[in-house]
Amino acid sequence: MSDLKPILLVEDSPKDVELTLAALEQCQLANTVVVTRDGAEALDFLHARGAFEGRATGDPAVVLLDLKLPKVDGLEVLEQIKNHPSLRGTPVVMLTSSREERDLVRSYSLGVNAFVVKPVGFEQFFEAIRELGMFWAVLNEPPPRGTLG
Amino acid sequence: MTDSGTADLDIERCVTEPIRIPGSIQPHGALFVVDPESLEILQAAVGDDDAVASGAAIQGARLPDLLPPEAEAMLTGIPARLGSEMVQLGTVRGREAEHHLLAHRTQDGIIVELERAAGAEPGLVAGTFPNVRGFLEGLSRCSTISELAALAAREVRAITGLDRALVYRFDENWNGTVVAEDRNDALPSYLDLRFPASDIPAQARDLYRINRLRLIASADYRPEPIEPALNPRTGKPTDLSFSVLRSVSPVHLEYMRNMGTGASMSISLMRGDQLWGLISCHNKEPAAVGYPVREACDFIAQILSMQITALEGGAYAARRAELQSVAARLLANMAASASRPAGRFVEGLARAESDLLALTGAQGAAIVTGEDMVLLGRTPPESGVREIVSWLADGVRDDLFATDSLAADMAWGERFKEQASGLLAISVSQMHASYLLWFRPEVIETVTWGGDPRKRAESDGAGPDGRLHPRTSFEAWQETVRLHAVPWDQAELEVANSLRTAIVDIVLRQAEELAALSDRLAASNRELEAFSYSVSHDLRAPFRHIVGYAQLLKKFEGEKLSERGNRFVDTIIESAISAGTLVDDLLSFSQMGRATLVPVQLDLAVLVAEVRRLFEHVEDGRTIEWRVGALPHAFGDPMMLKLAVQNLLENAIKFTRGREPSVIEIGGRETEDEVLFWIKDNGTGFDMAYVGKLFGVFQRLHRVEEFEGTGIGLANVKRIIERHGGIIAAEGKLNEGATFTVTLPKRRG
Repeated sequence: MSDLKPILLVEDSPKDVELTLAALEQCQLANTVVVTRDGAEALDFLHARGAFEGRATGDPAVVLLDLKLPKVDGLEVLEQIKNHPSLRGTPVVMLTSSREERDLVRSYSLGVNAFVVKPVGFEQFFEAIRELGMFWAVLNEPPPRGTLG
Repeated sequence: MTDSGTADLDIERCVTEPIRIPGSIQPHGALFVVDPESLEILQAAVGDDDAVASGAAIQGARLPDLLPPEAEAMLTGIPARLGSEMVQLGTVRGREAEHHLLAHRTQDGIIVELERAAGAEPGLVAGTFPNVRGFLEGLSRCSTISELAALAAREVRAITGLDRALVYRFDENWNGTVVAEDRNDALPSYLDLRFPASDIPAQARDLYRINRLRLIASADYRPEPIEPALNPRTGKPTDLSFSVLRSVSPVHLEYMRNMGTGASMSISLMRGDQLWGLISCHNKEPAAVGYPVREACDFIAQILSMQITALEGGAYAARRAELQSVAARLLANMAASASRPAGRFVEGLARAESDLLALTGAQGAAIVTGEDMVLLGRTPPESGVREIVSWLADGVRDDLFATDSLAADMAWGERFKEQASGLLAISVSQMHASYLLWFRPEVIETVTWGGDPRKRAESDGAGPDGRLHPRTSFEAWQETVRLHAVPWDQAELEVANSLRTAIVDIVLRQAEELAALSDRLAASNRELEAFSYSVSHDLRAPFRHIVGYAQLLKKFEGEKLSERGNRFVDTIIESAISAGTLVDDLLSFSQMGRATLVPVQLDLAVLVAEVRRLFEHVEDGRTIEWRVGALPHAFGDPMMLKLAVQNLLENAIKFTRGREPSVIEIGGRETEDEVLFWIKDNGTGFDMAYVGKLFGVFQRLHRVEEFEGTGIGLANVKRIIERHGGIIAAEGKLNEGATFTVTLPKRRG
């Protein structure tokens, strides 16, 4: 159990945090979920610095990243992850309210692994989270560190 | 020798003839050029020596010493007060007769002339006063130029006692027409005859503008040479422009003799500083017209000139005012249509057809803006107008071009003579070849010339004397003038020009407004985009939260709730979901307007088949009879058009629910520049009274319980079709069905 990597949820809305956690709970995933509330905090976690210096948990199995975030926004976090030699292999799923084409295009050009428009209905959301969680957290082992450039 | 080359030669030689410095005088007087200070004689020509001391040496003498003693007082002191205007110093008594002593200043010295007074010559005031008064009194009864001219001719002949007095008016080409005449039987009538411009060459007209009166007392005179020929002070011949005794060209004397006149006097009629015409008097026999009589005639001519200026100016002002009020109406019309969005000044002009024609007194007009053309009234065919416009555009022409004979200006222009012998064109925009053209038809005119103008010069260049001779016949000769329209007058040209300025202003203003509008539009688009972006993020979230929490509530606490409580939760969920769907629909609608269009040539049959596949599942349990006819190719964005067709088919399926069978018909056809397709169903249809609401955002014609939907589908379809430059129309009848017809433009080029 402890060798399971955590899921990093980056979400500023407490309601969305609660709903996402509820959805993940129902998926019955064994992974722990780390919640950060803005882009800066997420980067701190990823780089194990600031409040997360010497964090016990390992690098995340998947990052569930909201697009609109205070301080450093989702696209910027994504860009930093994908440009960082040791983080670039970490799968990132963009979770967003936006149906904006330009966000989608930009996310893909930055190398996002999936893009999920949060559906209005919770059941659909639950389905989406479940599928994503299962795929990225359990099934899809990221490549070992260091083998990618 | 009647070819025009000869006539040109004649004019050319006359033009170069030194009429201001002829070097001689008419012999009925004496002329002295004297030093302004010492009155020493520099040059002299003595034709009539009645008052000149005989036998004395002239050159170098002091002029008063040669004249009767009374001249001394008249001449002494003149240098101080004499200007270039001729002054009568007084009369001196010669051996036989009285002589007028006349003087004026020139650059070459003071010219003093002695002119014999006629035997019973009237005094200036006493003798001519009744006629001058008659003329002045008659003026008030004259309201037209021809009445004025007739009055002047009568009074001038009465004062001078000559056989014939004519009032002669120049046209714009300097041909002259006799507009009034008073005569006895000694000389023939020239009334209404036209005389060619070459009869009075340009340098003569120039002289007539500054020296208003000329007298030739005898057509047979022998010129008296001025001695010495060159002025000793200047080394040049003395300028006799203002001399009363100036000798005239021998060609002119011959012209007079050919005309059968022995004496002539002409007085200039001026309009402002322009030569308007002449009062031209003739006598069959040589005749002297005394200085006081000439002064009276000059006075009459000056009054006549002022009257002509006033009458023509008044007529011009009235015409101008009339045209300006027409122009004001036109501009108001134009401005009204220009201020409407998409309105163009052309429409304003075209609607006011009669004003547009009245503006320049034209019978036809054309408004040409780039490719577009509106023809009004009597005009050449469109292809002809195009030709004229490209001819105008090719030549380097001013903003305003006017001709009363297009045939004379434009190669093959006579083809349009019936409608456009006269052309007045203003260029509104050089960039788009925009013109306003007015046309006047050919008016065939009969002109009676005083002699065949083709024989205006008889040159016997091969003959013994090698000199030019003027024409010998003044018999009335009729010419038919073709390919000419009534000329455009000054007021018409001016108003056309001011209309041009106004149109250019309006066009410029429109362009500026358009630029400002597109700036505002771009700004509001940016705002809208920011708004919809924020809506997409911020408005959706609360709906998601409501649904999420309500579903969690139901899941975890549902058992604790009553059946009624559970129903409430379900309603909350349903409502929030539908609100969320509304937001999604609204966003997709806004995106539809912003998304980039990538049009390609596509087969509508293939597109429809693809869309139909999406609906295979909904057909379960229903009988839908599809009738798909032949469909053309169209030019459009495949994604967008697919969405539109999908929406339309969705509607057709939705609104035929309950029909057995449902019949959905899809067909299309193409015209030369359009592609049409339609989707027709036998569904619930709609009342045509509400057709206007059909394509509005969130407009629904049915209750939501009957047919689900947010009411955005057709608004989306309309937006897609309009972004393709097409139109969508709907036709329906309640409970019988609806037909949606889409028309798309074909690809240009």
